[in-house]
Amino acid sequence: MDDGDSRRRGRQDLGVGLVALVVVSAAIGRPVLEGLLDRPAVANWATVFVALSVQAMPFLVLGVGVSAVVAALVPAGFLPRVLPREPAVAVPVAAAAGVALPGCECGSVPIAGRLISQGAPPAAALAFLLSAPAINPVVLVATAVAFPGRPEVVLARFLASLLASIIVGLVWVGRGRDELLDRARRRTAPDGPPLTVLTATAQHDFLNAGGFLIVGAAIAATLQTAVPRDAVDTVADAGPLALLALAGLAVVMAICSEADAFVAASLTQFSLASRLTFMVVGPMVDVKLIALQAGTFGRDFALRFAPLTLAAAVGSSALVGWWLL
Amino acid sequence: VNAVGGTISVLVGTVLLRLTVTGIYQRYVRVGMGPWLAIAGAMVIVLGLSRLLRASRAPAPADQHSPGHDDQDGHEHGDRVGWLLLAPIAALLLVAPPALGSYGVDRGAAIDVRAGPSAFEPLPAGAEPVPMTLLEFNQRAYDRDGASLDSATVQLTGFVADDDMPFRLARYQIACCAVDAAPVVVLVVGTVGEPPPLDQWITVTGTFRSSDGEVPEVAATSVVEIPAPDDPYE
Repeated sequence: MDDGDSRRRGRQDLGVGLVALVVVSAAIGRPVLEGLLDRPAVANWATVFVALSVQAMPFLVLGVGVSAVVAALVPAGFLPRVLPREPAVAVPVAAAAGVALPGCECGSVPIAGRLISQGAPPAAALAFLLSAPAINPVVLVATAVAFPGRPEVVLARFLASLLASIIVGLVWVGRGRDELLDRARRRTAPDGPPLTVLTATAQHDFLNAGGFLIVGAAIAATLQTAVPRDAVDTVADAGPLALLALAGLAVVMAICSEADAFVAASLTQFSLASRLTFMVVGPMVDVKLIALQAGTFGRDFALRFAPLTLAAAVGSSALVGWWLL
Repeated sequence: VNAVGGTISVLVGTVLLRLTVTGIYQRYVRVGMGPWLAIAGAMVIVLGLSRLLRASRAPAPADQHSPGHDDQDGHEHGDRVGWLLLAPIAALLLVAPPALGSYGVDRGAAIDVRAGPSAFEPLPAGAEPVPMTLLEFNQRAYDRDGASLDSATVQLTGFVADDDMPFRLARYQIACCAVDAAPVVVLVVGTVGEPPPLDQWITVTGTFRSSDGEVPEVAATSVVEIPAPDDPYE
């Protein structure tokens, strides 16, 4: 056994020991935790935090699974070959391809990261990242159920989300800085037989995306507990301000895109156009998504991408809402 | 570090499976999610075990490297942030947080009863109480000022949302998980004395009483304290 190997072995043992330590100390801390949960605000925070984390797990597993299958089975160089060479064409194509991925936003981040590392044009992968959680059949059906007898809401959501994704993709073609995506671009899948690549990539992606998801869930739970949802009611009649208020609420609440239509439907004090903004912004920008993107692509990227996406989402939903609703 | 990642994954998967088997998951997500949580948990366990297996086998695979190069491709970084997955796991293993309670009733956006069915069939008028969700009671009360409820006896189950009289009965609607919960409330009138303790689950039997208030009223003939149901949401 060489020196590096024994060091690695030592760190592994240390790691397992640390996991055990966490579990044991948590057990000792149990009475403290129970005492804390007697406070309604803390209990509310904990419930929202755990609910967000648990709810996202199946979608996250789906996302890292698809991403790992791409890594293991799609040969290097295949994606650049099949995608349109002209970015202005590739972006709308990729955005429309979002229809095919049933799931929510937690799953699409690892997939987009994988597409980039497999050589897809970043702008196209980003357009897919934004459109997939918003325009897939599961989300559209949920929207139709939440707004019975109002098919125009479903159509408006589809069009506004697609439009916003294409705008962001095209802006990225023109002004984006691909070097911000270096972390994703340089990431190569491990060598080995496909099954090893599959499990190793999925395992790594799960830990990475899962960890950042927890950060996002904690922030969202804190904001939800600290800011009562009816605080936004005061601006319900204020036109453009109401639009921005619901965009902000979508960012803060971080609801799964498969459920946000039901919340939007219940916000009856707001106009349909502002509720459309809520449904377009939510799947594209929210606190847990920003955390996930920062983890997958890097913080510098997330800090530039989130405002760009927010502006595009608010703009397109205002436009489509004014036209259709 | 390889082995730690595997251990964390196995823990996460086990807790997801445990949530499904015990039914505790219903406090956090909608009932239909159960099978998906179980599948996700099983897959995460398999991933974790495969990693533990690889880690136990020397020599190290090609994607391992000395610490000096760790940050180049973010692998170490990813593993470190994976530790955070232990936070909800620790919370769930020790004291599973309760279902949402009275704290959020006045903080959430109220449910829109107008989105529901517009004309209800009248209930059979008789002594047999009809179990009903708070949402349906709200919708029926809104529909032609409760004409379809008339004098029928209904049975409503929820938790106590106020600690003074008259108190409100509340229950949350959820679409996906507790994050999108929206409260539905009914005012309980006609009882005397102290209200049941805050957040206590109760079944109220009574009849609809027409009122001018925004919250529909039920004139209670009996209030029975019950243990919290497995599925606390509607």
